[in-house]
Amino acid sequence: MEQVLRNPARRSEARKRMLTDRQRYWLGRGLTYLCLVAAVIVIVFPIYWMVITSLKLPREIYRMPSLWPRVFTLENFRVLLLDKDFLRPILNSLIVSTVVTVISVLISSCAAYSMVRFRYRFKGLIGRIILFAYLTPTSLLFIPLSILMARMNLGNSLHGLILVYLTFSLPLSTWLLQGYFRGVPRELEEQGMIDGLSRFGALLRIVLPLSAPGIAAVSIFTFTGAWNELLLALVLVTSESQRTTPLALNYLITSDVLPWGPLMAGAVLSSVPLMILYFIAQHFMVQGLTAGSVKG
Amino acid sequence: MSLSVETSAAPRRARWLNASRRVHLFAYAMVLPAIVLILGLVAYPFFYAIYVAFTDRMVGSVGNWVGFANFRYLAQTATFSSAIWNTIVIVLVTDVLKLLIGLGLALLVNQNLPGRGLFRAFLMLPWAMPAFVAFLTWRVLYQPIGGGLNLILTQTGLYPHVIDWLGQRQTAMPSVILASVWRGFPFWFISILAALQSIPKDLYEAARVDGANAWERFWMVTFPGIRQVLIITTLLSSIWTANAFEHVWLLTQGGPSDATMVFPVLAFFGMQTQRIGEAAAVSVAMLPVLAILVIVATSMLQKDED
Repeated sequence: MEQVLRNPARRSEARKRMLTDRQRYWLGRGLTYLCLVAAVIVIVFPIYWMVITSLKLPREIYRMPSLWPRVFTLENFRVLLLDKDFLRPILNSLIVSTVVTVISVLISSCAAYSMVRFRYRFKGLIGRIILFAYLTPTSLLFIPLSILMARMNLGNSLHGLILVYLTFSLPLSTWLLQGYFRGVPRELEEQGMIDGLSRFGALLRIVLPLSAPGIAAVSIFTFTGAWNELLLALVLVTSESQRTTPLALNYLITSDVLPWGPLMAGAVLSSVPLMILYFIAQHFMVQGLTAGSVKG
Repeated sequence: MSLSVETSAAPRRARWLNASRRVHLFAYAMVLPAIVLILGLVAYPFFYAIYVAFTDRMVGSVGNWVGFANFRYLAQTATFSSAIWNTIVIVLVTDVLKLLIGLGLALLVNQNLPGRGLFRAFLMLPWAMPAFVAFLTWRVLYQPIGGGLNLILTQTGLYPHVIDWLGQRQTAMPSVILASVWRGFPFWFISILAALQSIPKDLYEAARVDGANAWERFWMVTFPGIRQVLIITTLLSSIWTANAFEHVWLLTQGGPSDATMVFPVLAFFGMQTQRIGEAAAVSVAMLPVLAILVIVATSMLQKDED
């Protein structure tokens, strides 16, 4: 150090190196932001396009496409909600997703609690079956499930849909809740039981409240899974009155004229609430995703 | 005296046994509903699908056992071969792209940057978007008339002619892959980012003190820290991508002339033509590969948990 200070040539060399280090730092920062901003643009553009297409008049969509609508209109939403009766599928989807969420969170809380707190034979096997079930794809199950639902007279009904949606929601929520319950200290529960709670009481009063964030995340994942499902709905539901949101939008494209405006209006209605929720609760959802590897 | 001791000990032991049995009973009763539903709704249909694949079942008839006839028939059809090939291509190409993009962006966001939370939130958006909405939106973007992609290419002068992205054999598959990568990379990005954040910072300091450059630090510290996550993510992503239905169904329905046909869409078409045995054979045909992926993923996830 002293040598550097005493020797002017060395000192200027050191300063030069310091400057280049600094320049390299800013260059790295600049490139990082450039890449990130480019990625954000690529991500946001389709979402932006969905929103502005839903706000454009048909003539603008087909004849003079532009990045900014000349006239903003809610016409597409009116067509979709009134002419195409889109409120019905939204209502159906809300019913199916809510019921599926409630049933699977109830059943899987019990199962996950049992698997985390007790030791018994076949526990490893049961855990493995749940994981297998989680990873068994719908593409393999939709054919036998449609036969089974027809046999049970549950085809073409929201009840049947709720039952088959448990095939993916139940394993997922059990698997995720196990992770959250494991985080609740056993001592708290034992304390509660000394204070006079039953086993079930301890689950209800101590474990569930302490895992509330986990249960909220699991509920959101289960709800989204049911809300987004298309293949099983396509196979099971035949009548218009039982259609869910993805199904109703799917049938909009299979008609002869492709009504892009109303279609994107439907896309906005069925995704924007969820995306806002995920955006706000991102920290929370990320924890859930990394805890149990959740498919989006 | 001794008699009275025995009589008082016996019921106590019986009660103790009883309590432990009651706990066991409680434990089993708690998992029972989940297990019954999973066996009935997943395990039984799973084996039933395999059985149906070996019959000539149609709508309205139960069908007879035909052995491997469905598989032999499928092996001769060109559509089935395209489905195999396309599924392999989609899985491999999207996995590699999602890995590169997800890893790259995760490394960028993992730096100590102002605004990183906001970037992370934006980069997650496609994951929060329902798959059917994402692919419907991409279908609109790819339109030759009024589509956003052609608009950008012609307006910026990058390419002067309008392209029918989904309507041509050469562009249909890359278009499906691009849309799938857009929708699927956030899962990789978030998983990798979480793994990166769990690597202790002093490991990097130690490597720096030892004189390792950025490249060496990546291979000596970063890579071992995220290896496990990369393997699990690859397995899960491959299983999901190979069995995805929405991307192809909503973009191209397998066309033009089977250029983007994949297993699940082919099985769905088989179902629509009412030849259920054949349709089941299509989805069962991918079972051997799928089973390996699922078994490996399951044991890794279970090990992770312990």
